This record gives sequence, structure tokens and C-alpha cells, in this order.
Amino acid sequence: MKHYFQKPTHAAPLAAFRIIFGMMLFISIIRFWCKGWIYELYIKPLHFFPFYGFEFVKPLGNYTYLIFIACGVSALLFAAGCLYRIASISLFLSFTYIELMDKSTYLNHYYFVSMVLLLMVFLPANRYFSVDVLRDKSLFASQVPKWCLDSLKLLVLILYFYAGLAKLNSDWLLNALPLKIWLPARNDTPIIGPLFNYTWVAYLFSWFGCAYDLLVGFLLWNKRTRPWAYITVVAFHGLTAILFPIGMFPYIMIVTALVFFSADFHRKIIARLKSFFKKDTTLVEPHVEFKYRPIVQNVFVCLLAVFFAIQVLMPFRYLLYPGELFWTEEGYRFSWRVMLMEKAGYTQFTVKDASGKRIIVNNNEFLTPLQEKMMSAQPDMILQYAHILRDHYAKSGFISPQVYVDSYVTLNGRRGKVFISPETDLAKEEESFKPKTWILPLNDEIKGF
Amino acid sequence: MLILLAGIFACSKKEAAEKDNTNTGASADRKAVLIQLADEIIIPSYANFKLKLDVMVSKTNAFGNAPTVTSLQELRTAWVDAYKEWQKVEILDFGPAEMYAIRGYMNIYPANVTKITANIAAGNANLDLPANYTASGFPGLDYLINGAGTNDTEIVAFYTSPTDGAKRIAYLKNIAAKMSAMFGFVSAEWNGAYRETFVNKTTIDASSPFSSLVNGYIRSYESAVRSGKFGIPSGAMENGTVSPQNVEAYYKKDISLTLAKTAHLAAIDFFNGKSVKSGTEGPSLKTYLNSLPSSTTLAAGINAQFAATTQKLNAINTENLSSVVQNNNQQMIDVYNEMQKLVPLLKVDMTSAMSISISYTDNDGD
Repeated sequence: MKHYFQKPTHAAPLAAFRIIFGMMLFISIIRFWCKGWIYELYIKPLHFFPFYGFEFVKPLGNYTYLIFIACGVSALLFAAGCLYRIASISLFLSFTYIELMDKSTYLNHYYFVSMVLLLMVFLPANRYFSVDVLRDKSLFASQVPKWCLDSLKLLVLILYFYAGLAKLNSDWLLNALPLKIWLPARNDTPIIGPLFNYTWVAYLFSWFGCAYDLLVGFLLWNKRTRPWAYITVVAFHGLTAILFPIGMFPYIMIVTALVFFSADFHRKIIARLKSFFKKDTTLVEPHVEFKYRPIVQNVFVCLLAVFFAIQVLMPFRYLLYPGELFWTEEGYRFSWRVMLMEKAGYTQFTVKDASGKRIIVNNNEFLTPLQEKMMSAQPDMILQYAHILRDHYAKSGFISPQVYVDSYVTLNGRRGKVFISPETDLAKEEESFKPKTWILPLNDEIKGF
Repeated sequence: MLILLAGIFACSKKEAAEKDNTNTGASADRKAVLIQLADEIIIPSYANFKLKLDVMVSKTNAFGNAPTVTSLQELRTAWVDAYKEWQKVEILDFGPAEMYAIRGYMNIYPANVTKITANIAAGNANLDLPANYTASGFPGLDYLINGAGTNDTEIVAFYTSPTDGAKRIAYLKNIAAKMSAMFGFVSAEWNGAYRETFVNKTTIDASSPFSSLVNGYIRSYESAVRSGKFGIPSGAMENGTVSPQNVEAYYKKDISLTLAKTAHLAAIDFFNGKSVKSGTEGPSLKTYLNSLPSSTTLAAGINAQFAATTQKLNAINTENLSSVVQNNNQQMIDVYNEMQKLVPLLKVDMTSAMSISISYTDNDGD
């Protein structure tokens, strides 16, 4: 083990990853801006749904654009390897800040990006083919510790493997849900669309998707299977990009998987880039090995162990909660559970007080359609919204307002049913990591992970 | 991947067709649904409404040119006919109807008499302003031809008044002309290019015709039928505070129930794809739901709930819903409660089964 942490590897894959990943994030930010989503998602809404413990993370009105500018600029500097330490820290912080502003926009791939960036802050990704090296030749290293590169690979492997584990459940494997719902709705896709009318195609996709997620990380790691595994990465993510509105995620994964490729492969990429910049394209370079100072290395490796322990355990925290995970969503996020549910809900809130005042809330006056859709099927957001209503009506003359909800949720094609106890005064309930007793049971078991 | 899939498809199609009895072969054909709804319901319903609306406009002008009890009664008959026909198209709140906010110009009630009086006095009211929705449309006319006096002679006198008669006639004509003009835009779109757009874009993204028709249909049933006709007057949605003056066609007094039943039936027929021309059912939201492998019993459940609502509607035996609110409000609440059970079936179960999206942003399905 000790020997492993002394092993070097070529610095090119890490440097290439830095460039590609940074550029992908830069493109993501530009795309987000061009689609008007900064205004639409973070400025226009009247209320937001912060994460528990991160309530201080809020959009800053029109200054929100500055966070996105900071993020975009950091991404460029990060890609260029310019002022790398500062750039990587500010990229991690700005990206994570954006992600934490509103739960309604939670995506697993945003979380993945944040985790990769957190790792990258500690890795020597600017020692090779970077502006930092151009400015200070003494920073150059052709070799970096092998564990630095492996830790990135391990994170990608965990993502895929856990996404596969999450698919080992009866809805996904035995009932081909939710693909059985989603695929027929896309039967007008060119060429392959007509296939989606067949139920067996939903089963094929479900089983293939599950096996793919469980295995692809290992197949990418293994040199002999790597080229074939990569072809399936491109095909699989390409297909999901065509079928589902999942934005940049497929493309980010397609380029991220390149991290598994050999140093020679990455050196060729970098040589191409060098020729583009009209630099010396020879592959001959001095052999310089970068090593952390022993004390720093020990601290980093310990932190890394903690980081991965959290990564491995987090997806299992749902076991601490009673009830059906897909229904209560207690312990659902940050666990690489992607595309597993077709869930939709309907909520009608009633606010009243002891003096007999009573009002039925029009959700459109408080939330955007996206926020309402997300809130309606997620208990923690229902509670947050109930508190938004409590505070709003307390200001407009209700004396200690009580908030009740009539809710109705459907999950993976099951006939919808009441979701939240209509007798519970949500104004009095507090958010915590404890089980939420006011979620009514699904009365159905989804077996498996 | 495509070649691979095609290969798997070619190899296993026959085998799968034999094994998989859950696949009935009925494919989820949105285009067929869109064509049926456009050609057999939407376009002919709009055409029928246009006929009645045109008669109403000409009777309005005839009355305006010569206000007599006879011409008033003719106008009133034309107004009733058009109002009933409107119930069949109010549910179609998507596409051009949504774009032109046609419902605002046609049927926002209760009528605001204060505003109507002020608009008449001002003489230059801009009926395009949303603030004037409650002073125009069918409810505005309801007041002007049914509520402006206690009997027909008084109502005619309202328009023959030497001081304000001319202004009142101008306003009356103005309302009818506005309704006709606004509906003309919607009608022209459907008879023009929109029909092709509607039937040819079969995707289910948020901006697609299929999504907007499903969302618009549900929204109009929820707000125009459930809330407007029952939830609000009965007080079921208003903390139990009844408001008998908020029923539809309040001044006419004897058509409210027919209007409600007509709208409810139109919603049922739309769901079942029942042709306005032939009376037979075709591809529809019902057949589409039935063709989806994961929701085989949902359409039947929705129709059962429609039927339960119809039953409660049939229990009401007087046209004057305002008096029902005052004397037998439980009947109104019963209808509301059944309609309220229908809303989540349509809004949650149906849209989820159809995978209809409401937002434009990225989503990874959780």
C-alpha cells in the first residue's frame, strides 16, 4: 500500500483532463447563460429552496450574473492551468454555490462536477502543459503520483457503479419502469423511434443500462477492454442525449471517460494542441517527477480516504430511514440515482389561523412552474414551501398561521395517492435529518437497492 | 449503436412478439390523436361556434339599430345559442386560443356592473385591457340584455333613453364586435397554417402541440369548469363563503345548469375523441392512454370519474344555479367534490403516464 502511494505516472492524462473538463464547464456556463436560465431560474423566482444546512447560499439578485462570470472565468483559467490553485478553488466554490442555490435545479451531474472539482483542488494538474509552467519552468513535471490520477478514475467508477446498483430494483428490472413510460412518448425519434412502441425494448434498455452502469467503470479501467468500453460510453450517452432532456451530462461523461486512457494517448492529444499553438511538438521532454512533501502527501491521502469513505457510504444512508426510498426521497440525492423515477405530484395548500382566517393558496403566486413541479413530489421541498407560506401569511395578518396540504403523487405509473398527511400542520414541523413522520406510506414495496 | 439495435430488433422481433403479450400492437400514435382532435373536434366545433357567434353579432346590431322587445328577444335567443356553443370550445384552451387569450374576451364572470356603467359613460373603453374582461364577453352581455331592467320593456327603455341610450347601444355593439374579432383570429389560425403545425409536430416537449393541448385541456377543466362553475359560487374553494351572484349567466337565471352540463360533456367527448361531425369515437387521449403499456386502466378510471361527476350534475334539477347555491348548496359541493377528484387523475396520473413535460430546463429524472 505504501509502495502504491510512491508510484509515479505520466502527467499528461491529468493535464488533458484539466483542459477538457475546464472547457466543458466553460461551455456549460455559456450555454446556461444563452438559454436565459440565469434569469429564469435564479433571478425571476420569488422564493428559493436551499439545501438543509446551506440556507445561507442564495441567489444575489442581478449580482447572480457575477457568480456565473466568476465561474466561467475560473473555468477558463482552470483549463489553461493559469493561477491553477486559485482558479480551481474559485471554480469549485462558484460552481458549488450555483448548484446549492435552489434544489429545484438539482442534477446529479452538477454534484459530480462539484466532487471532481474538489478533488482537482488538491491534485497537481498544472504541472504539465499549462500557463503556470510557461511562466515558471520550475513547476514542470512529467511525472505525478499515480494515486492522483487514480482518484479521479475511482470517482468516475463509483458514479457508474452506484448508478448501476440503484437500477437493481424491481421497478427497473422487472417492470422496465420508468423507461416503459418514457420510451413510447419518444416514438417519433428518427429511425429508432418505432422500436419504442415495443415493451421488450424498454426491458432491453433497462437491463442493458443496468449492466452497462455496473460494468463500464471496470471495463474502462482494464486496458484490453478499454476501447470497446469507450465505444459503448459514446453510444450510451449519445442515445440518452437524443432521447432525454439531460443537457450537458452525456457530453461531460463522454469526455470524462477519456481519463482512463493511456499517457501516450493523452500526450498525442497534447501534441495536437501544441501544434495548434505552434509550439514544439516533439514528444521528447525532460523526466521530472513531482512529489508532494511527505507530510503533505500523508495529509492528502488521509483526506482522500475520508472523501471516498463518504462517497461509498452516502448512497446507503437511505437505509437509516423507514419507508420506500423512491416515495419519501429521504436519502435520495447525492447518490447517483439517475433517471429512475417518473414521479409527479399535485399540491394544494391551505393556510389558516385560530381566528378563523383561511385561504387556499395559488402556488403560481409563489413558485415558478419548475419549482412547483419539483416541490409537489418531494417532501423536504413541501416543508420548505409550507414555511415560506407560514412566514408570508404571518406578515399579512394571520396570527401563527397553520399550513396544511392536500397532496397527490404518482410514482412510476402507479395510480396516484395522497402523499402528505393532510392533518399535519406543516408550519410546526421542522426540517432535520430525522425521518419525516408526516409522509404517508406508499403501501407498495420496490424491492432492491 | 443504431446498427446494433437494429440487428437486435431484426433478430428478436418475431420471438418477442410471440412471447410478449403485454404488447398489443397498438402503438402510441400521437399523430392520429392530433388529426382526430383537429379535424373531428376542434375545427368543426369552432365552425359551429362561429355560426352562432355571427348570428349573435347580427342580432346585436339589429337590436342596436331598432331596440324593441322583439329584437331584444331575438338577440337573447342568439346569445343563449352562442353561449351554449361556446361551452364546447372553451375547453380548447391551447394553441391559438391560448395565444389570443380568447377566454378572457369571452367568459370571465361575474360581470362587473360598476365597470360596465363606467365604460358606457366614458364611451371609449378599450376592451383589450384584461381589466375589462369582466365588463365584456358573454357575462357583460348577460347583464346588458338580461339584467339592465326587471322586464323586457325596461331593458328596451335602457337603450332608448334619450340621454344615454346611444352610448349603451354603442357599448353593446362594441362587446359583440370585439368577441367576433378576437374569435376571428383564432378561427383563421386553425383554418390556416396552424392545423398543419398542430398535426405534424408529434413530440412531447413543453412547447409541443401535444403537451400544450393536454395542459390546456386540463387547465381549462380545472379553472373554467370546476372552479368557475362550482368551486367558487358554492364556496367550496372560498372558505365556505357562498357567492350565489358568481354563477355563470347569473342574470339569465335559467341556463346555468345547461351551460355547466354542456361544458362537462364537451370535456368528456374531447377525452374520448368523439367526433362533432359523426358522433363516433376515434383516436383520443383515451385510446392513447390505453396504448401505453404502463397505464392500461387509467383511461377507464378517468371515464368512471367523469361518470360520477355527471351523476352529481344530473341530481340538480333546476337551471338556476344561483338558487341552488342558496337553497341546496350541498348539490353544488357534491359536483365540486367529484370534479376535484378528477383533477389529479388528469393533472398528475395522465400527464405522468404520457411523460408530458412542463419545463424547458435540463432534468435527469429525479
